[in-house]
Amino acid sequence: MNRFIRSGDPFIWVTGSALAFALLLVAGLLGLVLVSGLGFFWPRSMVEISLADGRKLAGSIEARERIPDPQSGKKTTGSWRFKLKQGNRDLYGSDFVWVDEKDVRERAYPKEIAVIERREWGAFHGRPLKVLEGETVVAEGVDRSWALLIQRLPAALSVYDQARRIEKDELGGINFKKEKIRLKRRSLELKGHSKGSALDALKAEEERLQKLFDKQMEALAALRGTVRTNVVFVSADGQEKQVALTNIVRAYRPNELSFFGRLGLYSSRLWEFVSEDPRESNTEGGVFPAIFGTVMMVFIMSLVVTPFGVLAAFYLREYARQGPFVSAVRIAVNNLAGVPSIVFGVFGLGFFVYIVGGSIDRLFFPEALPSPTYGTGGILWASLTLALLTVPVVIVATEEGLAAVPRGAREASLALGATKFETMWRVVLPAVFPSVLTGLILAMARAAGEVAPLMITGVVKLAPALPIDEFPPFFHLERKFMHLGFHIYDVGFQSPNVEAAQPMVYTTTILLLVVVVALNLTAIIVRNRLSKKLRTSGL
Amino acid sequence: MAPISTTSDGGLDVPARPGVAARKKARRFLADRIARRLVYGSGVLVILAIAAILFVLFSVALPLLLPPKATPHQAVDLGFSEPVLAFVTDEYRENGVACLPSGFVQFSLVESGPGPTRIDTPGIGEAKIVQGFVTASGGLAAGLSDGRLLPVDVAFETSFEGSKRQIRTVVTPGKPLVVDEGGRPTELAKYLVRDGSTKVSARVGPRDVAILEATETANLMGESTREEKRELIQLQAAGEITALAMDARGDDLFLGTSTGEVIRFDRRAGEDRGQKESVFVARSRTTAVTALGFLNGDRTLIAGDAAGGVVSLQMLQPDGRPRTLTPMNQFEAHKGRVVGISPSRRDKGFVTIDDGGEVKVHYGTTGKTLLSLRAEGARLTGTSFAPKADGVLAARADGKILHWSLQNPHPEITLRTLFGKVWYEGYNEPGYVWQSTGGTDDFEAKFSLTPLIFGTLKGTFYALIVAIPLALFGALYTSQFLHPNLKSIIKPGVEIMAALPSVVLGFVAGLWLAPAVERVVPGILATIIVVPVFAFAASAVWERVPTALKRAVPAGYEILFLLPVVLLALWVGLQIGHQIEHSLLHGDYRAFFLKVLGLTYDQRNSVVVGLAMGFAVIPIIFTVAEDSLSSVPKNLTAGSLALGATRWQTALRTVLPTASPGIFSAIMIGFGRAVGETMIVLMATGNTPVMDWSPFNGFRAMSANVAVELPEAPEGGTLFRVLFVAALLLFAMTFVVNTAAELVRLRLRKKYRTYE
Repeated sequence: MNRFIRSGDPFIWVTGSALAFALLLVAGLLGLVLVSGLGFFWPRSMVEISLADGRKLAGSIEARERIPDPQSGKKTTGSWRFKLKQGNRDLYGSDFVWVDEKDVRERAYPKEIAVIERREWGAFHGRPLKVLEGETVVAEGVDRSWALLIQRLPAALSVYDQARRIEKDELGGINFKKEKIRLKRRSLELKGHSKGSALDALKAEEERLQKLFDKQMEALAALRGTVRTNVVFVSADGQEKQVALTNIVRAYRPNELSFFGRLGLYSSRLWEFVSEDPRESNTEGGVFPAIFGTVMMVFIMSLVVTPFGVLAAFYLREYARQGPFVSAVRIAVNNLAGVPSIVFGVFGLGFFVYIVGGSIDRLFFPEALPSPTYGTGGILWASLTLALLTVPVVIVATEEGLAAVPRGAREASLALGATKFETMWRVVLPAVFPSVLTGLILAMARAAGEVAPLMITGVVKLAPALPIDEFPPFFHLERKFMHLGFHIYDVGFQSPNVEAAQPMVYTTTILLLVVVVALNLTAIIVRNRLSKKLRTSGL
Repeated sequence: MAPISTTSDGGLDVPARPGVAARKKARRFLADRIARRLVYGSGVLVILAIAAILFVLFSVALPLLLPPKATPHQAVDLGFSEPVLAFVTDEYRENGVACLPSGFVQFSLVESGPGPTRIDTPGIGEAKIVQGFVTASGGLAAGLSDGRLLPVDVAFETSFEGSKRQIRTVVTPGKPLVVDEGGRPTELAKYLVRDGSTKVSARVGPRDVAILEATETANLMGESTREEKRELIQLQAAGEITALAMDARGDDLFLGTSTGEVIRFDRRAGEDRGQKESVFVARSRTTAVTALGFLNGDRTLIAGDAAGGVVSLQMLQPDGRPRTLTPMNQFEAHKGRVVGISPSRRDKGFVTIDDGGEVKVHYGTTGKTLLSLRAEGARLTGTSFAPKADGVLAARADGKILHWSLQNPHPEITLRTLFGKVWYEGYNEPGYVWQSTGGTDDFEAKFSLTPLIFGTLKGTFYALIVAIPLALFGALYTSQFLHPNLKSIIKPGVEIMAALPSVVLGFVAGLWLAPAVERVVPGILATIIVVPVFAFAASAVWERVPTALKRAVPAGYEILFLLPVVLLALWVGLQIGHQIEHSLLHGDYRAFFLKVLGLTYDQRNSVVVGLAMGFAVIPIIFTVAEDSLSSVPKNLTAGSLALGATRWQTALRTVLPTASPGIFSAIMIGFGRAVGETMIVLMATGNTPVMDWSPFNGFRAMSANVAVELPEAPEGGTLFRVLFVAALLLFAMTFVVNTAAELVRLRLRKKYRTYE
């Protein structure tokens, strides 16, 4: 035994267990996120339960646990309870309810029970009772109503889509133009023009737009009038609720769905998640604007960070005279990578937003003041802040690449009469290109996951418009934007209904993790390829 | 046109025509020069960017500590050659109303404004004005020689015509109130109206104070009835009354005496009513208290004495003891007799004047005197802090009003308020407090960075406690004992761990880990012991495994065997924790912690942060430490092994000491990361700025505080600048630590080179 301990092997095993523990942590975290997030869109079976006190509830069982009992000495009592997602928030006040198993008299899985996903108040669990067209009843009975509901729903959905298109594109466009005219008028007034043909033309244009606006509003009202179908539903405990057909997103009967039916529903909800706007203060619907904002921000950041990072690395390694100054700069650049991201955010706010943005506003947008145009957080400032945050990553990666390019390659090029620029451009740059790519990918991965600096430089929980749209100048870099990481923080911690939103946050997390991990893996693979290539090409 | 280019790298060009070749050459050199400029420019830009970060943070934070400045304006002569007893001005310091011994006057402070005009106050009648003062609501009042008091309501109505500002002064003389039915002159009076009731207290004799309480109640018919209550109070102490103050709630009456004391009279209904404690504030028993006044909010009392001393006092109620008047700060003394006090209506600042012509601006909370201004000429009789706290006015006995503009945007900030203990109003003792927003108008923001720095360090401490052992043991194992094939998989795995966005970790920590940890705290504590024991046991089992089987598994593959062992150990640890909790802690560890250790349990606490932030720091420490451990020169380890040392001895005695600077620098870099981590601490702590080392309480870290409060802070305001100070501190902390780590690493690299 003594010899065994002196051999040191047990200690090796203890150090190994630390590594194993760390690996288990990573696996556990990823597993938790995947399990909690991927199952969210899967339609679960609906159970209808009758309680001892005569109440009836319908919903899906989300969790089961022993009933905690803080009073007695033991932590839990022996019996179990489960968490039912009961829906019908407008009737019951909350989405979830804990049910003691001993109170349950009967459980049933009726085929005809339906889940109605609504645009407001979350899902409704219950049965359709009758369908109304205006005031007249057009279908009665559960099955007939259901058949009619399913038959009419696609048309209603398409009307809703058209109405939304009019709202967003037509009316939104007119409002955008009207705002531009208002600013033009204001700018003329600031220059001292109070009358004149220019002003009259603007006024005429404004009136024309107003007419157009009114026309579109009429069209919208007419469109909305085409669907007057209402459905009366009854919940498990007998309460009736009338829902307009246009207010329904999706209706299905989970208990009669086959596996492939469920799969289809799953994909449709997943697609809604990645392609639609959020609903219900971000707790339902999709995260498309957040995906768009994240991607666009990372893209702008890459456009800025690549040239500056690469040029700075060339300066440090190829152009500057090596000495204490350059070493100091190199250490400073390395340290910049260790400066907390929130500090970059504070700098971005103080410099980009208030100093640069404020000056731009005073010089170019005085007509909009005091409401700021560039003098407030926006996607451009957030991207520039992150570019500064990630520039050390690109510099360090490029410098490493430059160090690996053999001296002989440069000397050969110079000896053949090439200028320094030509050597760099034709010989060195192609050789370090994979390193630059690695650095850029790592920078993108870091930028995609950062949230803290964005919180003070322009991210919002709900952006009214995307930073790119069809109205000139098409790119609106001053706009505030949505971001996946901030979405996680906001919905998970600031949402009014955190419990209901939680699965959605896990799904958003998966999305963010997929982006970040995929970028990192790409960088690792590129780096490994590169080191192999360099090893073989070494002179 | 284009010459033939033989090589892609532009080396040899065969010129078609000599002129073209020369032009081409010029162009090539031009391109070279442009490229050089561009590269140099970018290099300089990056250097500038680093400098700019420091510069911007610094330039925003600096105005906090700049000394205040005052610029004098032209004095305004009211033209009556009478002393100004009291006066008020509008918030732009353009118009004012003054009380003179001969009556009330409306005047303008701007040169182009109209001349002074008298205001008709028929209520005075035959009486004379013996005293004038500013009322709690910003109006004026005059004490009359016949025992009455005349309130005069003053309002400044601001309107805008386009961009031009118009201010109309509305002066409404009220009905005189009979304060002393004996008809003695009302000097040193205080007047306040609150919820329909009027309270007046005035000195009517050397040792007598008359008090009038008038309440107006409207009945259902819309008629109002007026009820008046009068009371006479006699001073039960030596000396005469020389100053008087009454707080806006009407709780207490304070009298200053000629013997240098401030005596409190409790005015609340109940047993405590009557004369209470006296506090000696002057320099000697013969120095009279000559001025009393409240700061904004009417909680801190300022007393000035005949020898020039200025002190602040407040009513405190330490646990279980009765309310008492307690001295707080002593301010820079005047040379002459203090004759007037005027509080700022914005903050806790105030102005004092003496009869020698000195005006001083103080800040109540910090106890600091910000400015001393000299007023030449006749003695000073009254003062007024401008409503926006951006100017100081003082009236002279010859009827002139002196006027200074004040540049003092952040009077409440000193290095001491940022980092030291400050005695805030309503607190029983000085303390470190961060509270940037409050509900009421007279709320005083409290900007002590100390609890935030403490929170940052506490979070870092717990994160490092979790991360250092795991990361260093893991790095040691990976570098020395792990099979190279596995290493090429595991290292990128850990690197991926570093790339996980902190918002994800924070979210999981706050919403999943915090409630999970709450259930299994004893289990987690047990796991710390169980896991190493299991690893130990596993190695003992492996020792007994037949050699033939051992051969099949190459050295360095233990980790695969260890994964299930650690998993099992975790489960066993949690079970043991449950058993301990049931049998020893009576089934509820939280009650046990509270009763035996005196620790309260928050769900989002430092253990949760430690685990989550530890998770974020592990890969950073791991990578740097593993690098330095792996690059220990092979001839050292080979030598050790050749001399008969075991693998473990070599690792412990040779590799670890050699690489120790690298390990130190790894821990430093991990420290830097933990200090600045924002989203995890934001989401996994309760964000309460408490100072308490308990692992089961939350904290508020600087980084999270900046992230939460900066979007709400108005640009250029005090909070905005203080948050920049916090950012500057974070920058400085990480920059210093990282530079140290980097220098250590560079030296280590040099050292390794000598072995090769």
